[in-house]
Amino acid sequence: MLIKYWPKETKVPFMRYRYVGVALSMIMMVASIYLVMTRGLNLGVDFAGGSVIELRQTDTVTVAEVRSRIPGGLTVNSATDSNGAELVVIRFGDLDAGLLGEEFLALPEETQAERASAASNTFVVNSLKQEFNLTDEDILRNDSVGPKVSGELFREGLIALGVATLMMFGYIAFRYSWSYAVGGIAALVHDAIGTIGLFALLQIQFDLTTIAALLTIIGYSVNDSVVVFDRIREIRRKYKQMPATEVIDIATNQTLSRTMLTGGTTLIAILAIVLFGGPVLQGMSLAMIWGIIIGTYSSIYFAAAIVLMLGVDINRKPVEDTPGFEAMP
Amino acid sequence: MLQFPPWKVLLVFAVLAWGVVMALPNVVNMSGAPGFLPKKSVNLGLDLRGGVYLEMEIPPEEVIHSRLEVFARDVRSAFSRTSDRDPIYFQPELHGRTMVIKLSRPDAEGNFPVDEALKRLDRINTPLEGGLTSGKTYEITRAGTDSIRISVPQASETAMLADALSKTMTIVRRRVDPEGVAEISLTPSGNNRIVLEAPGEPDPQRLKDLLSRDGKMTFNLVESSPAEIAAAQAGVVKPGYRLLQGPETGPLLVRDIPEVVGSDIASASQGNDEANRPQINFRLNANGARKFYETTRNNVGKPFAIVLDDVIMSAPRINDAIPGGNVRITGSFTITEAQDLAAIIAAGEMPAKVQFLDQRVVSSTLGEDSIESGFRAAVVGLSLVAFFMVLAYGLQGLFAVLSLVANVVLIFAALSLLGATLTLPGIAGIILTIGMAVDANVLVFERIREEQQSGRSVWTAVQAGYERALITILDANITTLFAAIILYTLGSGPVKGFAVTLALGIVTSVFTAFVFTRMLTVFWMKTFKTKRFAV
Repeated sequence: MLIKYWPKETKVPFMRYRYVGVALSMIMMVASIYLVMTRGLNLGVDFAGGSVIELRQTDTVTVAEVRSRIPGGLTVNSATDSNGAELVVIRFGDLDAGLLGEEFLALPEETQAERASAASNTFVVNSLKQEFNLTDEDILRNDSVGPKVSGELFREGLIALGVATLMMFGYIAFRYSWSYAVGGIAALVHDAIGTIGLFALLQIQFDLTTIAALLTIIGYSVNDSVVVFDRIREIRRKYKQMPATEVIDIATNQTLSRTMLTGGTTLIAILAIVLFGGPVLQGMSLAMIWGIIIGTYSSIYFAAAIVLMLGVDINRKPVEDTPGFEAMP
Repeated sequence: MLQFPPWKVLLVFAVLAWGVVMALPNVVNMSGAPGFLPKKSVNLGLDLRGGVYLEMEIPPEEVIHSRLEVFARDVRSAFSRTSDRDPIYFQPELHGRTMVIKLSRPDAEGNFPVDEALKRLDRINTPLEGGLTSGKTYEITRAGTDSIRISVPQASETAMLADALSKTMTIVRRRVDPEGVAEISLTPSGNNRIVLEAPGEPDPQRLKDLLSRDGKMTFNLVESSPAEIAAAQAGVVKPGYRLLQGPETGPLLVRDIPEVVGSDIASASQGNDEANRPQINFRLNANGARKFYETTRNNVGKPFAIVLDDVIMSAPRINDAIPGGNVRITGSFTITEAQDLAAIIAAGEMPAKVQFLDQRVVSSTLGEDSIESGFRAAVVGLSLVAFFMVLAYGLQGLFAVLSLVANVVLIFAALSLLGATLTLPGIAGIILTIGMAVDANVLVFERIREEQQSGRSVWTAVQAGYERALITILDANITTLFAAIILYTLGSGPVKGFAVTLALGIVTSVFTAFVFTRMLTVFWMKTFKTKRFAV
C-alpha cells in the first residue's frame, strides 16, 4: 500500500519554525493586498457590469473579422471550450451613445445611463446577426449585467463571506475556546486574502463562481484547522504537563498523513474539473487548487501557531474522557 | 458502536435503495416503468439546458408617476362636472413624486378658492384598494395662496409597489406564456424586481420586446380634417386632441380622452382575415361593448383609431353601429407579431414600464456541451479518487469507494426529492464533495492504524477509530455546512446552485462514510475473522 511509504511516525518540529511561518504568511497577505490595490481585480461581468457574448469560431466568424466589422471598441478574444471547439469571446461595457441610434439618444439623460448596457448589448447582437448572418442558435452565450445588479452582486458576495466567517467563529469558540476560534478564523482570512491576491496577480476573472470558490476554500480551511485543533485538545488532555509547543507538534504530526491524503484526494477531484470541466469552471477550480494548498499550510503554520501564542488552555471546558480507554503511556 | 442489529442494517439498506430508486430516472428512461416509481430526473439549470434568464425592475418613480397620472384624470373629472365658469379652474403639474394643482381664477375679492378645492379633492382621495392602512392614499396639502400639493406618503408607496409587482408578475406570465404551457419560472426578488427564467427559449430579444411594452390599449375618436393635421404638425394641436403616428395610417389627430380602454377588453387572440392574413381578434366585456356600440352609433362615417402604446394600429371608418363587442385589427402582421400583440393586449397594461437589469442567454448546444464536460469531470474525478483510496488503504479503501458511490447516488436522490436545480457550479460542488467525502474515512482509517500500532486488537482498534474520529468529523463538517447554508441564503444564481450540492453532499457523506463504511467493515470482520487491517 502507498501509505506504507509514508513514515509511520513523523517528528517534524513544526512549531520551532513558527515565527518563520507567521512571517511568511504576513508577507504573503501584505503582498496580496498590495497587488489588489495596484493591479486590481479583473472583475467579470457579474461584478463590473457589461456583456459577454460567445460565438463558435468558423471560417467567416473569426476574432479578426469580429474586431474589424463590429464598431465600438469591443474586447474580442478566442477561447477553447471543453470539447476543443474554438470560440470567439466578445466583452464590452457601455458603447458610445452615438452608435446606439436616434431612439436611444432621444431618451432623457438619466434613462440613457440606466439603459446603456442593455442597449449596447442589443446593438452588438444585432450587428453580429447582420454582419455574419447569424441566428440566435449561433450565439452560444450572451450575458449582460446592468450596473445596478453588478454592484449588488458584489456586495451580496462580500456579505455572504463575512456572515459565514462569523458563524464559524461562533461555532469554534463554542466547541473549543476563543483562542482556537481566533486561530481558525485567522487562517481562514489568511487563505481568502491569499487567494484574492492570486486572482490579482494572474488577473484571473473574478466573478460569482469565484465567490463560490472562495467560500469552499474557507470551508476547507476551517475543516482542516478543526481536525488539528481536535487533536491538540486530545493530546492536551492526556499529557497535562507537556509544554504547549510539543503538544502542537505531536498533534500536527499525528494528523499529517490524514492532512496529506485528504488534501491529495481533493486536489485530484479539482484537477479533474480543471482538465475536463470546461472553461466556465476553470478560474474557479484554479483558485480552489491554490486555496487547498495554502489552506493546508495555514492550518499548521497560521492556525496552530496563533493558538500557541494565545494559549492552548484558555478557558478549557472539562471534557469527559471516552469511556473504556485509559490514557496511553 | 460495532453492533449492527438487523433493524439498523435494514434501515441503511432502505435508505440506499430509496436513493437508487430516486436517482434512477437520471440514468435510465423511466417512461415505461410502473406508476409507483419516480420518473422525473433532476431539474437542470439554464446553464445546462440552454435558455433565457432575465432580471427586470419596476422603477418605483414610474409606478408613482402613473398612479398620479390616473389620479389627475380623477381630479379633472371631479372638477369638470361643474361648468367652465367654475372658479376652481386648475392645471395639474406632475413633478416626479408630487403633483401641484394651481388654481387660476380668483374670485371678485382676488382670493383663490383653495378651501373649496381641498374639500372636493378630499372626497375623491379614497383609501388605496388592497392597501394595509385604511388611511387616505394621497397627502393633500395647501401649498400657497393659489396652489395645492399632492404627494404619496411612504405607506401608500409601499402598497403601490407591492400592487405593481404582483400585477406585473401576472402580466409578464400572461404575455410570455398565454397558453399557460411553457415551463417558465417567475420569482419576485426584493420589493420591485422580477426574475424570469425561460428554459429552452432561444430568443431573448423577442421576450424583451414582448415585455418592454406598456400594453396600453385605447380606442379613440379621430379628427381627420387635413387642415387640422397640418396645423398640428406645425405645432398647433387642437385642444383636447393629440397627434399620433401609425405605420399604416400616417399622422392622425386622436381625441385625448379614449372612448374604450384596455380594461374594457375581455380577451384577445390571433386569427385570420378573409384573405387568410393574420389579424388580431378581441372581445370586449359588457361595459366595453356598450360603450363601443354607443360610440359607433353616434359616429357613423367617421374613422375610429385603435391605439397601442401611443401608436395607431389601425383607423377603420365606422360603417355602421357595431353591437356585440367583437372587434378586430387587420394590418400587415406576421403570425408571430399578431400572436405577440394579442398576448400583450390580452394581458393588460403594465403598471410601469419594466427595465432589464440582467440578462443571460445560453444556447441549448452549449448547455449540452456543459452537461457532457461536467459529467466527464465527475467520472474522471471519482475514478481517480477511488484509485488513490484503494492504493492507500487497500480493502478499507474499497469500502470507502463503495460509500463514495452511494454518496453520489444519495446526492442525486436528494436533489430530485427537493426539486432543486442542478447547475454547472453544482456539478463542481458534487466533484468537490467526492474529494472531501473521503476525509471522514481517512480520519477513521488513520485512527485505526494508530490504534493497531499501539498494539490493540483489530476489534478495539476499529471501535476506537470510529468512536474517536466521530467528534472530529462532526466538528469539521458542521463548520463547512455553515458555509454552505450561508451561501444558499445570501447567494444568488450560480452560488446558490453550488451551495445546494455542497450542503447535501456534506449531510449524505457523513451518513455514507460513517455508517455505511462501518457496516461494511464490521460485516467483513465477522465473516472473515480478520486479525489485522492492512492500513
